Amino acid sequence: MFKKSLTLGIVSGLLAGIAGILYAKLYYTANEADFSKVASSVRIISSSLFGGVLAAIGYTLLVKALKSKGEIVFNLLFTILSFASLLLPIAFKLPLTIETPELFPGMVIPMHLFPALGWYTLKPLFIKN
Amino acid sequence: MNKLLYPFAAALILAGSAFTFIAAQNWQIADGYSIAFTSDDASGIFKGFKGNIAFDEQTPATAKFDVTIDVSSINTGNGLQNKHAKSDEWFDAAKFPVIHYTSQKVTKTASGWLATGDLEIHGVKKSTPIPFTFKKTATGGLFAGTFTVNRNDFKLGKPGGDVGEQIKLDISVPVNK
Repeated sequence: MFKKSLTLGIVSGLLAGIAGILYAKLYYTANEADFSKVASSVRIISSSLFGGVLAAIGYTLLVKALKSKGEIVFNLLFTILSFASLLLPIAFKLPLTIETPELFPGMVIPMHLFPALGWYTLKPLFIKN
Repeated sequence: MNKLLYPFAAALILAGSAFTFIAAQNWQIADGYSIAFTSDDASGIFKGFKGNIAFDEQTPATAKFDVTIDVSSINTGNGLQNKHAKSDEWFDAAKFPVIHYTSQKVTKTASGWLATGDLEIHGVKKSTPIPFTFKKTATGGLFAGTFTVNRNDFKLGKPGGDVGEQIKLDISVPVNK
């Protein structure tokens, strides 16, 4: 069980990271706002992977503890935590050399939802009920 | 008529040349300046700074600082904080777009110089002494100063709260001839 959910976590985390990097490049092209000093490609990939692996651990524990209701609680928690994490980029203080901090949340907020999106999209391929 | 013309011309030339000796050196503000502020909760920089600086170490009596800081150029590193700082609760950038400092006199001190003049923030003008140092460089010079203002004196924000009432300003201005 944990092997499957860990694989799902890693794959969805990686895909979320790749989507995040592509989105960051698109955002930079559209807004001329470069945040690569604080949100580098490595950082985007590693934090997305971290989210995916954390989701895998949480999923396994909840399904083991709550059986059939575990997935419902997990989905609810994953979504709530993803939304709660949106506060982090809003409150984040950037280095003063970055001239447009007001554009930073617009770039990072969607990225915080990518790991959950990846998980929900790929789950049927890895874990069948 | 000719008798008067030459003495008058001589006096005029003398007076003119005398003024060239006592007029202070005018400096152009160069890139790379830094106007930074820190308090208990908020800190940041102002990116917009311009004005006229006339200063000569030999003739401090003729020194004059008339500079403005663009309030809307404030950067605290956080977009929400920037917006809040520009709002009518704090700087009210729409109504008071600049911070203005005009020196009245400049005197020598043990550690450098002291400019005394009017600092106008948020529409409130207050006499503010600014201690500073001046170092000559290869291309011009560098003015540097640190001083503290009480934000309540300028009706910035509400008294108390998270943001400290004493705001420390660190100013570094490179200048060219």
